[in-house]
Amino acid sequence: MISSDIIRGHLDAIILRLIIEKDRYGYEISKEIGERTKNTFEIKEATLYAVFQRLEKNEYIVSYSGQITHGRKRKYYKITEQGRAFYDEKIGEWEETKRIIDLLMEGKDEKN
Amino acid sequence: MKRINDYVAGMFADIPDSPEKDSIVQELVMNLEEKVADLMEQGKSEEDAVNKALVDLGDVSEIKNSMGSSDRRPRQKKTVNYTNRMWFSIWASALIIGLFLFMNFYYSPHRIWFVYPTFAVLWWPLTSVFSWLNHKN
Repeated sequence: MISSDIIRGHLDAIILRLIIEKDRYGYEISKEIGERTKNTFEIKEATLYAVFQRLEKNEYIVSYSGQITHGRKRKYYKITEQGRAFYDEKIGEWEETKRIIDLLMEGKDEKN
Repeated sequence: MKRINDYVAGMFADIPDSPEKDSIVQELVMNLEEKVADLMEQGKSEEDAVNKALVDLGDVSEIKNSMGSSDRRPRQKKTVNYTNRMWFSIWASALIIGLFLFMNFYYSPHRIWFVYPTFAVLWWPLTSVFSWLNHKN
């Protein structure tokens, strides 16, 4: 199970990305992360919630209660304009980081 | 599922009750319950599913930290007013020494004994002057 600092440092953007795709609720996101990574990466519920809290405070996402499903009222999260802008910024940063790490760690030449 | 609820509530037991806390606990419990339901669908027993969900909750300290910052009033920092403390000790010891002086010269003017208690009392203002100096630097 990978639980690296690099992933942790990008959880905000990762979760924003999932919420950009469509409005989602808590467990759906942790399940989706597990499925997409074929369970090589799992997010703890507490970590996920801490990210929600942070994103909501920064007004990158807003929450609303969905309809009652299986006797539960799910809390859905929805992206905001600021959230989208923040995500785009993070993606730009990530591309740059990837380029630098490839270059330095694996000696990949940009021309190739 | 009471076990999940109790477990999550227990994690936040040291936080004072508030609507914010309730909604956090409620949401965490709900997510974990969904996880349990999902795991049971995949064929796990309820016992196993609950255990796995509780392990997957992880560390809630980050949530607690950001909770406190928003509405909990910061604990009153205990500050020592070193200057006041110094002046108090100087005035008080001056009075005490004055009393000894008076007693000495009024009742036994031929025997000088007031210096002994004076030395003992002087440690007090000395201490506070130095801690004041220490603090000033």
